[in-house]
Amino acid sequence: MNTMQSLPLLQNALTVGAILFSLGLVGILTRRNLIVMFLAAEMMLQGISVSLVAWSRYHGDWGGHVLVIFVLTVAACEAAVALVFVLQAFSRTGRLDAAAWQSLREANVGRTIDHELPAIDTVPLRFPTLAPAGVLPPADENEPLQREHV
Amino acid sequence: MNPVSFDPLASGPLLAGAVLATVASLWLLLPNGRDTTTARWLGASLGLAALAAFIATGRRLGGLGEEAVFLIVSLVAVISAAATIVSRSPVYAAIWFALSLAGVAGVLLVLGAQFLGVATIVVYAGAILVMFLFVLMLAQPAGLASYDRVSNEPFLSALAGAVLLGVLSLSIGRLSAGPASCCDLPTRATATPLTATPSAAEGIAAPATAPVATVVDPLAENHVARLGGELFGRHLVAVEAAGVLLLVALIGAIAVVSRGEAAHAAEATTATGPAAGRSAAR
Repeated sequence: MNTMQSLPLLQNALTVGAILFSLGLVGILTRRNLIVMFLAAEMMLQGISVSLVAWSRYHGDWGGHVLVIFVLTVAACEAAVALVFVLQAFSRTGRLDAAAWQSLREANVGRTIDHELPAIDTVPLRFPTLAPAGVLPPADENEPLQREHV
Repeated sequence: MNPVSFDPLASGPLLAGAVLATVASLWLLLPNGRDTTTARWLGASLGLAALAAFIATGRRLGGLGEEAVFLIVSLVAVISAAATIVSRSPVYAAIWFALSLAGVAGVLLVLGAQFLGVATIVVYAGAILVMFLFVLMLAQPAGLASYDRVSNEPFLSALAGAVLLGVLSLSIGRLSAGPASCCDLPTRATATPLTATPSAAEGIAAPATAPVATVVDPLAENHVARLGGELFGRHLVAVEAAGVLLLVALIGAIAVVSRGEAAHAAEATTATGPAAGRSAAR
Protein backbone atom coordinates (compact mmCIF):
# COMPACT_ATOMS: atom_id res chain seq x y z
CA MET A 1 0.00 0.00 0.00
CA ASN A 2 1.30 3.40 -0.93
CA THR A 3 1.02 5.25 2.33
CA MET A 4 3.22 8.13 1.23
CA GLN A 5 0.64 9.11 -1.35
CA SER A 6 -2.54 8.41 0.54
CA LEU A 7 -1.69 10.00 3.89
CA PRO A 8 -2.32 13.61 2.70
CA LEU A 9 -5.60 12.50 1.17
CA LEU A 10 -6.56 10.87 4.47
CA GLN A 11 -5.71 14.02 6.43
CA ASN A 12 -7.59 16.34 4.10
CA ALA A 13 -10.66 14.13 4.05
CA LEU A 14 -10.58 13.81 7.85
CA THR A 15 -10.41 17.61 8.08
CA VAL A 16 -13.47 17.93 5.84
CA GLY A 17 -15.28 15.40 8.02
CA ALA A 18 -14.29 17.28 11.17
CA ILE A 19 -15.53 20.58 9.75
CA LEU A 20 -18.87 19.03 8.79
CA PHE A 21 -19.23 17.43 12.22
CA SER A 22 -18.42 20.68 14.03
CA LEU A 23 -20.83 22.72 11.91
CA GLY A 24 -23.54 20.16 12.59
CA LEU A 25 -22.77 20.36 16.31
CA VAL A 26 -23.09 24.14 16.28
CA GLY A 27 -26.34 23.86 14.36
CA ILE A 28 -27.94 21.35 16.69
CA LEU A 29 -26.85 23.31 19.75
CA THR A 30 -28.00 26.70 18.67
CA ARG A 31 -30.91 26.51 16.25
CA ARG A 32 -34.45 26.41 17.57
CA ASN A 33 -36.35 25.12 14.57
CA LEU A 34 -36.83 21.37 15.01
CA ILE A 35 -36.38 20.63 11.31
CA VAL A 36 -33.13 22.59 11.11
CA MET A 37 -31.90 20.74 14.20
CA PHE A 38 -32.49 17.44 12.42
CA LEU A 39 -30.73 18.73 9.33
CA ALA A 40 -27.75 19.54 11.55
CA ALA A 41 -27.83 16.03 13.01
CA GLU A 42 -27.78 14.58 9.50
CA MET A 43 -24.82 16.83 8.74
CA MET A 44 -22.92 15.32 11.67
CA LEU A 45 -23.64 11.89 10.20
CA GLN A 46 -22.24 13.09 6.87
CA GLY A 47 -19.01 14.14 8.55
CA ILE A 48 -18.72 10.73 10.18
CA SER A 49 -19.33 9.04 6.83
CA VAL A 50 -16.57 11.03 5.14
CA SER A 51 -14.14 10.12 7.93
CA LEU A 52 -15.05 6.43 7.78
CA VAL A 53 -14.58 6.26 4.02
CA ALA A 54 -11.26 8.09 4.30
CA TRP A 55 -9.96 5.56 6.83
CA SER A 56 -11.28 2.75 4.67
CA ARG A 57 -9.38 4.12 1.68
CA TYR A 58 -6.23 4.51 3.75
CA HIS A 59 -6.24 1.00 5.13
CA GLY A 60 -7.57 -0.66 2.01
CA ASP A 61 -10.33 -2.25 4.03
CA TRP A 62 -14.06 -2.60 3.45
CA GLY A 63 -15.07 -1.89 7.06
CA GLY A 64 -15.64 1.82 6.62
CA HIS A 65 -17.75 1.37 3.51
CA VAL A 66 -19.96 -1.24 5.19
CA LEU A 67 -20.34 0.94 8.26
CA VAL A 68 -21.38 3.93 6.13
CA ILE A 69 -24.10 1.80 4.52
CA PHE A 70 -25.47 1.04 7.98
CA VAL A 71 -25.19 4.73 8.88
CA LEU A 72 -27.38 5.49 5.87
CA THR A 73 -29.90 2.89 7.00
CA VAL A 74 -30.06 4.20 10.54
CA ALA A 75 -30.32 7.78 9.24
CA ALA A 76 -33.33 6.82 7.14
CA CYS A 77 -35.03 5.17 10.15
CA GLU A 78 -34.17 8.12 12.35
CA ALA A 79 -35.56 10.61 9.86
CA ALA A 80 -38.85 8.70 9.56
CA VAL A 81 -39.42 8.41 13.32
CA ALA A 82 -38.17 11.93 14.04
CA LEU A 83 -40.38 13.54 11.44
CA VAL A 84 -43.39 11.76 12.90
CA PHE A 85 -42.55 13.20 16.31
CA VAL A 86 -41.99 16.65 14.82
CA LEU A 87 -45.39 16.51 13.14
CA GLN A 88 -47.02 15.43 16.40
CA ALA A 89 -45.32 18.27 18.24
CA PHE A 90 -46.42 20.70 15.58
CA SER A 91 -50.01 19.54 15.71
CA ARG A 92 -50.05 20.08 19.48
CA THR A 93 -48.37 23.46 19.69
CA GLY A 94 -48.68 24.91 16.23
CA ARG A 95 -45.00 25.78 16.18
CA LEU A 96 -41.79 24.07 15.11
CA ASP A 97 -40.07 25.63 18.09
CA ALA A 98 -37.87 23.62 20.43
CA ALA A 99 -38.56 26.17 23.18
CA ALA A 100 -42.28 25.37 22.98
CA TRP A 101 -41.38 22.24 24.95
CA GLN A 102 -39.29 23.98 27.56
CA SER A 103 -41.49 22.73 30.37
CA LEU A 104 -39.50 19.50 29.96
CA ARG A 105 -36.29 21.25 31.05
CA GLU A 106 -34.35 20.64 34.23
CA ALA A 107 -35.49 22.34 37.39
CA ASN A 108 -32.46 24.59 37.74
CA VAL A 109 -32.34 25.74 34.12
CA GLY A 110 -33.67 29.18 33.39
CA ARG A 111 -36.62 29.77 31.20
CA THR A 112 -36.16 30.81 27.58
CA ILE A 113 -37.74 34.22 27.19
CA ASP A 114 -38.37 35.64 23.74
CA HIS A 115 -37.89 39.34 23.48
CA GLU A 116 -39.62 41.48 20.97
CA LEU A 117 -37.83 41.27 17.63
CA PRO A 118 -37.45 44.21 15.29
CA ALA A 119 -39.64 43.99 12.25
CA ILE A 120 -38.09 42.93 8.99
CA ASP A 121 -38.48 45.38 6.15
CA THR A 122 -39.63 42.96 3.52
CA VAL A 123 -39.30 44.08 -0.04
CA PRO A 124 -42.53 43.22 -1.85
CA LEU A 125 -41.97 40.62 -4.52
CA ARG A 126 -42.24 41.82 -8.08
CA PHE A 127 -43.29 39.23 -10.58
CA PRO A 128 -43.26 39.75 -14.33
CA THR A 129 -46.67 40.63 -15.63
CA LEU A 130 -48.31 39.84 -18.89
CA ALA A 131 -50.45 42.19 -20.90
CA PRO A 132 -54.09 41.75 -19.81
CA ALA A 133 -56.16 39.80 -22.28
CA GLY A 134 -59.43 37.92 -22.17
CA VAL A 135 -61.94 37.80 -19.31
CA LEU A 136 -60.94 38.65 -15.74
CA PRO A 137 -61.13 35.40 -13.72
CA PRO A 138 -63.20 35.35 -10.51
CA ALA A 139 -61.43 36.15 -7.27
CA ASP A 140 -59.76 33.21 -5.59
CA GLU A 141 -61.30 32.51 -2.18
CA ASN A 142 -58.21 30.55 -1.16
CA GLU A 143 -56.08 33.65 -1.48
CA PRO A 144 -55.18 33.97 2.25
CA LEU A 145 -53.83 30.41 2.23
CA GLN A 146 -51.10 31.25 -0.23
CA ARG A 147 -47.94 32.39 1.44
CA GLU A 148 -46.19 35.51 0.41
CA HIS A 149 -42.64 34.36 0.92
CA VAL A 150 -40.93 31.34 2.34
CA MET B 1 8.22 8.30 7.65
CA ASN B 2 7.67 11.51 5.77
CA PRO B 3 10.57 13.97 6.02
CA VAL B 4 8.37 16.97 5.22
CA SER B 5 6.14 16.20 8.14
CA PHE B 6 3.96 18.18 10.50
CA ASP B 7 5.56 21.26 11.98
CA PRO B 8 3.55 22.41 15.00
CA LEU B 9 5.34 25.73 15.33
CA ALA B 10 4.47 26.77 11.80
CA SER B 11 0.86 25.65 11.64
CA GLY B 12 -0.10 26.16 15.29
CA PRO B 13 -0.75 29.92 15.08
CA LEU B 14 -2.48 29.42 11.77
CA LEU B 15 -4.77 26.83 13.32
CA ALA B 16 -5.47 29.07 16.32
CA GLY B 17 -6.29 31.93 13.99
CA ALA B 18 -8.59 29.69 12.00
CA VAL B 19 -10.41 28.62 15.17
CA LEU B 20 -10.84 32.22 16.34
CA ALA B 21 -12.05 33.31 12.91
CA THR B 22 -14.52 30.41 12.92
CA VAL B 23 -15.91 31.46 16.31
CA ALA B 24 -16.32 35.08 15.24
CA SER B 25 -17.76 34.19 11.87
CA LEU B 26 -20.35 31.76 13.23
CA TRP B 27 -21.28 34.17 16.02
CA LEU B 28 -21.84 36.96 13.52
CA LEU B 29 -23.67 34.79 11.01
CA LEU B 30 -26.01 32.83 13.28
CA PRO B 31 -29.49 34.31 13.62
CA ASN B 32 -29.54 36.72 16.53
CA GLY B 33 -32.63 38.79 15.83
CA ARG B 34 -30.81 41.87 14.59
CA ASP B 35 -30.03 41.03 10.97
CA THR B 36 -27.62 43.74 10.00
CA THR B 37 -25.93 43.60 6.64
CA THR B 38 -22.53 44.61 7.97
CA ALA B 39 -22.53 41.71 10.42
CA ARG B 40 -23.34 39.35 7.59
CA TRP B 41 -20.56 40.62 5.36
CA LEU B 42 -18.07 40.62 8.20
CA GLY B 43 -19.08 37.11 9.21
CA ALA B 44 -18.87 35.82 5.67
CA SER B 45 -15.43 37.32 5.10
CA LEU B 46 -14.19 35.96 8.44
CA GLY B 47 -15.53 32.55 7.50
CA LEU B 48 -13.71 32.69 4.18
CA ALA B 49 -10.53 33.66 6.03
CA ALA B 50 -10.96 30.66 8.33
CA LEU B 51 -11.47 28.43 5.30
CA ALA B 52 -8.32 29.80 3.70
CA ALA B 53 -6.39 29.08 6.89
CA PHE B 54 -7.71 25.53 6.94
CA ILE B 55 -6.74 25.09 3.30
CA ALA B 56 -3.27 26.42 4.11
CA THR B 57 -2.86 23.88 6.92
CA GLY B 58 -4.03 21.08 4.63
CA ARG B 59 -1.68 18.70 2.87
CA ARG B 60 -0.77 18.84 -0.77
CA LEU B 61 -2.07 15.87 -2.66
CA GLY B 62 -0.15 14.20 -5.43
CA GLY B 63 -1.45 15.60 -8.66
CA LEU B 64 -2.79 19.04 -9.46
CA GLY B 65 -6.00 17.70 -10.97
CA GLU B 66 -6.86 15.55 -7.97
CA GLU B 67 -6.07 18.44 -5.67
CA ALA B 68 -8.28 20.85 -7.57
CA VAL B 69 -11.20 18.41 -7.69
CA PHE B 70 -10.92 17.62 -3.99
CA LEU B 71 -10.68 21.32 -3.13
CA ILE B 72 -13.74 22.23 -5.16
CA VAL B 73 -16.02 19.47 -3.86
CA SER B 74 -14.95 19.94 -0.25
CA LEU B 75 -15.45 23.71 -0.50
CA VAL B 76 -18.95 23.12 -1.87
CA ALA B 77 -19.68 20.73 1.00
CA VAL B 78 -18.32 22.98 3.75
CA ILE B 79 -19.68 26.32 2.53
CA SER B 80 -23.17 24.96 1.97
CA ALA B 81 -23.03 23.22 5.35
CA ALA B 82 -22.27 26.56 6.98
CA ALA B 83 -25.07 28.18 4.99
CA THR B 84 -27.43 25.43 6.18
CA ILE B 85 -27.00 26.25 9.83
CA VAL B 86 -27.07 30.02 9.43
CA SER B 87 -30.06 30.24 7.09
CA ARG B 88 -33.05 31.98 8.62
CA SER B 89 -35.59 30.22 6.46
CA PRO B 90 -35.75 26.44 7.03
CA VAL B 91 -36.65 25.87 3.39
CA TYR B 92 -33.44 27.56 2.31
CA ALA B 93 -31.60 25.53 4.95
CA ALA B 94 -32.93 22.33 3.37
CA ILE B 95 -31.87 23.46 -0.10
CA TRP B 96 -28.39 24.36 1.15
CA PHE B 97 -28.22 20.97 2.82
CA ALA B 98 -28.97 19.32 -0.53
CA LEU B 99 -26.04 21.20 -2.06
CA SER B 100 -23.87 20.14 0.85
CA LEU B 101 -24.89 16.54 0.18
CA ALA B 102 -23.77 16.93 -3.42
CA GLY B 103 -20.39 18.13 -2.17
CA VAL B 104 -20.13 15.24 0.28
CA ALA B 105 -20.95 12.81 -2.53
CA GLY B 106 -18.15 14.39 -4.55
CA VAL B 107 -15.72 13.92 -1.66
CA LEU B 108 -16.77 10.28 -1.41
CA LEU B 109 -16.21 9.84 -5.15
CA VAL B 110 -12.73 11.35 -4.87
CA LEU B 111 -12.05 8.92 -2.05
CA GLY B 112 -12.98 6.06 -4.38
CA ALA B 113 -16.32 5.17 -2.79
CA GLN B 114 -18.39 5.07 -5.95
CA PHE B 115 -21.37 3.21 -4.54
CA LEU B 116 -21.57 5.34 -1.41
CA GLY B 117 -21.35 8.58 -3.37
CA VAL B 118 -24.31 7.64 -5.51
CA ALA B 119 -26.17 6.13 -2.53
CA THR B 120 -25.75 9.38 -0.60
CA ILE B 121 -27.37 11.32 -3.40
CA VAL B 122 -30.18 8.79 -3.85
CA VAL B 123 -30.99 8.11 -0.21
CA TYR B 124 -30.36 11.52 1.34
CA ALA B 125 -31.18 14.02 -1.37
CA GLY B 126 -33.78 11.83 -3.02
CA ALA B 127 -35.64 10.45 -0.04
CA ILE B 128 -34.78 11.97 3.32
CA LEU B 129 -34.51 15.58 2.18
CA VAL B 130 -37.75 15.40 0.21
CA MET B 131 -39.44 14.07 3.34
CA PHE B 132 -38.05 17.03 5.30
CA LEU B 133 -39.38 19.40 2.66
CA PHE B 134 -42.82 17.77 2.84
CA VAL B 135 -42.92 18.29 6.60
CA LEU B 136 -41.80 21.89 6.12
CA MET B 137 -44.58 22.48 3.63
CA LEU B 138 -47.07 20.97 6.07
CA ALA B 139 -45.87 22.70 9.18
CA GLN B 140 -44.17 25.94 8.33
CA PRO B 141 -46.23 29.04 9.00
CA ALA B 142 -46.29 31.83 6.47
CA GLY B 143 -43.39 34.20 6.66
CA LEU B 144 -40.37 33.97 8.90
CA ALA B 145 -41.21 32.67 12.37
CA SER B 146 -39.76 34.39 15.41
CA TYR B 147 -37.93 31.25 16.52
CA ASP B 148 -36.09 31.16 13.19
CA ARG B 149 -34.68 34.61 13.79
CA VAL B 150 -33.08 33.94 17.18
CA SER B 151 -30.85 31.15 18.40
CA ASN B 152 -29.85 29.63 21.71
CA GLU B 153 -26.50 30.88 22.98
CA PRO B 154 -24.85 31.50 19.60
CA PHE B 155 -21.50 32.54 21.03
CA LEU B 156 -21.08 29.55 23.33
CA SER B 157 -22.21 27.12 20.64
CA ALA B 158 -19.83 28.60 18.07
CA LEU B 159 -17.05 28.42 20.65
CA ALA B 160 -17.80 24.77 21.40
CA GLY B 161 -17.90 23.82 17.73
CA ALA B 162 -14.72 25.70 16.85
CA VAL B 163 -12.80 24.32 19.81
CA LEU B 164 -13.85 20.81 18.83
CA LEU B 165 -12.75 21.55 15.28
CA GLY B 166 -9.39 22.87 16.47
CA VAL B 167 -8.72 19.82 18.64
CA LEU B 168 -9.70 17.47 15.83
CA SER B 169 -7.50 19.32 13.33
CA LEU B 170 -4.59 19.20 15.74
CA SER B 171 -4.91 15.46 16.17
CA ILE B 172 -5.38 14.97 12.42
CA GLY B 173 -2.24 16.98 11.73
CA ARG B 174 -0.28 14.85 14.18
CA LEU B 175 -1.12 11.70 12.29
CA SER B 176 2.03 11.93 10.23
CA ALA B 177 4.31 12.85 13.12
CA GLY B 178 3.84 9.57 14.94
CA PRO B 179 5.50 6.32 14.00
CA ALA B 180 3.80 4.38 11.28
CA SER B 181 3.25 1.40 13.52
CA CYS B 182 -0.45 1.33 12.85
CA CYS B 183 -0.10 1.03 9.11
CA ASP B 184 2.32 -1.84 8.78
CA LEU B 185 -0.31 -4.43 9.54
CA PRO B 186 -1.36 -6.35 6.48
CA THR B 187 -5.02 -5.68 6.05
CA ARG B 188 -7.39 -8.16 4.61
CA ALA B 189 -7.86 -6.45 1.27
CA THR B 190 -4.15 -6.26 0.56
CA ALA B 191 -3.18 -9.58 2.10
CA THR B 192 -5.59 -11.58 0.00
CA PRO B 193 -4.94 -11.41 -3.72
CA LEU B 194 -7.60 -9.82 -5.82
CA THR B 195 -8.25 -12.94 -7.84
CA ALA B 196 -9.27 -14.81 -4.73
CA THR B 197 -12.72 -13.26 -4.85
CA PRO B 198 -14.91 -14.86 -7.48
CA SER B 199 -16.12 -11.54 -8.84
CA ALA B 200 -12.62 -10.26 -9.49
CA ALA B 201 -11.64 -13.38 -11.39
CA GLU B 202 -13.64 -12.44 -14.45
CA GLY B 203 -12.83 -8.72 -14.23
CA ILE B 204 -12.54 -7.02 -17.58
CA ALA B 205 -11.04 -3.75 -16.36
CA ALA B 206 -8.11 -5.39 -14.62
CA PRO B 207 -5.42 -5.18 -17.35
CA ALA B 208 -6.33 -1.62 -18.35
CA THR B 209 -5.91 0.01 -14.95
CA ALA B 210 -2.78 -1.79 -13.84
CA PRO B 211 0.10 0.13 -15.52
CA VAL B 212 -1.04 3.74 -14.99
CA ALA B 213 -1.99 3.62 -11.32
CA THR B 214 0.39 5.61 -9.14
CA VAL B 215 -1.68 5.67 -5.96
CA VAL B 216 -2.67 2.12 -5.23
CA ASP B 217 -6.25 1.82 -4.17
CA PRO B 218 -6.89 -1.84 -3.45
CA LEU B 219 -10.62 -1.24 -3.33
CA ALA B 220 -10.95 0.29 -6.78
CA GLU B 221 -11.12 -2.86 -8.84
CA ASN B 222 -14.61 -4.32 -9.26
CA HIS B 223 -15.67 -1.99 -6.52
CA VAL B 224 -19.42 -2.47 -6.30
CA ALA B 225 -19.32 -6.23 -6.80
CA ARG B 226 -16.75 -6.72 -4.09
CA LEU B 227 -18.57 -4.34 -1.75
CA GLY B 228 -21.71 -6.38 -2.25
CA GLY B 229 -19.78 -9.56 -1.62
CA GLU B 230 -18.38 -8.17 1.60
CA LEU B 231 -21.76 -6.83 2.70
CA PHE B 232 -23.70 -9.99 2.06
CA GLY B 233 -20.93 -12.34 3.07
CA ARG B 234 -19.20 -11.18 6.19
CA HIS B 235 -21.90 -8.77 7.40
CA LEU B 236 -24.98 -10.79 6.50
CA VAL B 237 -26.40 -10.80 10.03
CA ALA B 238 -25.96 -7.04 10.27
CA VAL B 239 -27.81 -6.61 6.98
CA GLU B 240 -30.69 -8.65 8.36
CA ALA B 241 -30.67 -6.56 11.52
CA ALA B 242 -30.75 -3.37 9.44
CA GLY B 243 -33.74 -4.72 7.56
CA VAL B 244 -35.53 -5.46 10.81
CA LEU B 245 -34.67 -1.95 12.00
CA LEU B 246 -36.21 -0.41 8.89
CA LEU B 247 -39.37 -2.47 9.39
CA VAL B 248 -39.60 -1.50 13.07
CA ALA B 249 -39.12 2.17 12.23
CA LEU B 250 -41.84 2.00 9.60
CA ILE B 251 -44.31 0.31 11.95
CA GLY B 252 -43.37 2.64 14.78
CA ALA B 253 -43.89 5.73 12.66
CA ILE B 254 -47.32 4.55 11.53
CA ALA B 255 -48.29 3.58 15.10
CA VAL B 256 -47.24 6.94 16.54
CA VAL B 257 -49.13 8.81 13.84
CA SER B 258 -52.38 6.87 14.24
CA ARG B 259 -52.41 6.68 18.04
CA GLY B 260 -51.26 10.28 18.35
CA GLU B 261 -54.12 11.45 16.15
CA ALA B 262 -56.63 9.50 18.23
CA ALA B 263 -55.25 10.79 21.53
CA HIS B 264 -55.20 14.33 20.19
CA ALA B 265 -58.82 14.12 19.07
CA ALA B 266 -59.92 12.63 22.40
CA GLU B 267 -58.02 15.31 24.27
CA ALA B 268 -59.58 18.04 22.18
CA THR B 269 -63.08 16.75 22.89
CA THR B 270 -62.72 16.15 26.63
CA ALA B 271 -60.68 19.17 27.71
CA THR B 272 -61.31 22.81 27.14
CA GLY B 273 -58.19 24.71 28.25
CA PRO B 274 -54.56 23.95 27.50
CA ALA B 275 -53.82 23.26 31.19
CA ALA B 276 -56.68 20.79 31.43
CA GLY B 277 -55.52 19.18 28.20
CA ARG B 278 -52.04 18.69 29.59
CA SER B 279 -53.37 17.03 32.72
CA ALA B 280 -55.64 14.86 30.64
CA ALA B 281 -52.70 13.71 28.57
CA ARG B 282 -50.87 12.77 31.70
